[in-house]
Amino acid sequence: MKADEVLIAHHDVLRGLLRELAETTDAQADRREELRDRFLHEIEIHAQIEDELFYPAVPDVSPLLALAHAEHRQIDDQVATVMRMDVTDPEFVTEVRMLENTVRHHTMEEEQRMFPQSHALGEERLEQLGEQLRARQQELAESGGMRLIIRLKRATLRSV
Amino acid sequence: MSVRTLLERAVGTVERWQVLDAPGYQIEHGVSLTFLLAGRYARPLQDLLHGVWLGHPLHPVLVTVPVGAWSAAALLDGLDATGRGGPGTGSAARTVVGLGIAGAVGAAATGMTDWQHAHDEARRVGLVHAALNSTALALYAWSFADRGRGRAARARVTAAAGYTVVLASSYLGGVLSYRHRLGVDHSAAGRSPRTFTPVARLADLPDGKPVGVDVEGVPVVLVRTEGAVRAVAGRCPHLGGPMAEGWLHRDELVCPWHGSRFDLDTGEPAQGPSTAPLPCYDTRITDGAVEVRRRARWRSPTAITTAEEASR
Repeated sequence: MKADEVLIAHHDVLRGLLRELAETTDAQADRREELRDRFLHEIEIHAQIEDELFYPAVPDVSPLLALAHAEHRQIDDQVATVMRMDVTDPEFVTEVRMLENTVRHHTMEEEQRMFPQSHALGEERLEQLGEQLRARQQELAESGGMRLIIRLKRATLRSV
Repeated sequence: MSVRTLLERAVGTVERWQVLDAPGYQIEHGVSLTFLLAGRYARPLQDLLHGVWLGHPLHPVLVTVPVGAWSAAALLDGLDATGRGGPGTGSAARTVVGLGIAGAVGAAATGMTDWQHAHDEARRVGLVHAALNSTALALYAWSFADRGRGRAARARVTAAAGYTVVLASSYLGGVLSYRHRLGVDHSAAGRSPRTFTPVARLADLPDGKPVGVDVEGVPVVLVRTEGAVRAVAGRCPHLGGPMAEGWLHRDELVCPWHGSRFDLDTGEPAQGPSTAPLPCYDTRITDGAVEVRRRARWRSPTAITTAEEASR
């Protein structure tokens, strides 16, 4: 798989989780908690593999790096808002929709603009990068350290 | 080589210094985490530091404190060193150095908050600007401590060194405002159209989703909600983000780049980083066509209608 294909597949996971989360009802508190935690886990992994591997590979072919970072920041801030909320809060879905829009815009920006620009790296490099991204994604998904960081983050966000 | 060329060359070097990007993003992550620890106060705190409540950036306001105080300190130190200051000069110098330090801390907090959202060249220049200012702050803190310990001569030397660094750094601050236009209104809406101009069919506008149109070469965003249509400028005042790619949240339009939120009726920023309002357009619907006209901020819409229509 090429780098952009790996990332698009992961974008689909992220968007899917948010869509599901936004469609839950107030009665499904447990389901909300679960989907929210899964989203936090996936978005942390996603941001990390992009920051670590993909973004450093593209500054010579894409002028959109600063924007991508800005959008990650906006997602991060909104994730914090959603994490802080009680899942039964009447505003919960409104804030999830806000997060969904933020993620949708960022992934659209990458898929329609940055990824096509990244094709200038050449087939071979994209394949190689894709392999690295997939391996790292797998590694982080299984990593106890990553899980610990996320648990800490969740606990911190909820306590403030 | 002229002064101008030298300065241009120095600034150009900083602007192209890509090695600053990685540490820059690390620092931003740190700043972001610090704000997140403020919980639900994170946003109001950042808005306070950006100057959303003030209508323009707070940073340049606070910058005048250290620059002014340390200029006064330089003068007092000069008088004191040459024995022309009279009694109390050294103590007065210490007081203004302290005032400068307090002001510099405020300037650093506001500057750091604004810097988080800078892009590329401006981000690199901002990082060097911050590094120089931190150096100056450290030198002045040392100088301040020395003044308390009676090491007046050494204190004057460190203050002079700090002042030189501050001047260099201020130049970079100027570059950030006047060249990179950080903190400047980027909405660039102009004054047209001055009379109602058709821009879209009402039937083509989806409910609750912003749509971008072009009016005499200027991007405008139309937002239809429950039959009414409101129109605002297409570029975010903060850094020119494309508002048509934004979305509605609690009846406010969100900028897709840095998350500024604007009231659709008044254009006022409900959340930063934008400190300037989003320009608004009056709208009306004639035979199913949506028409817009630039809303003047300095006169009431009716006044401009009467005056303008009468002159036609």
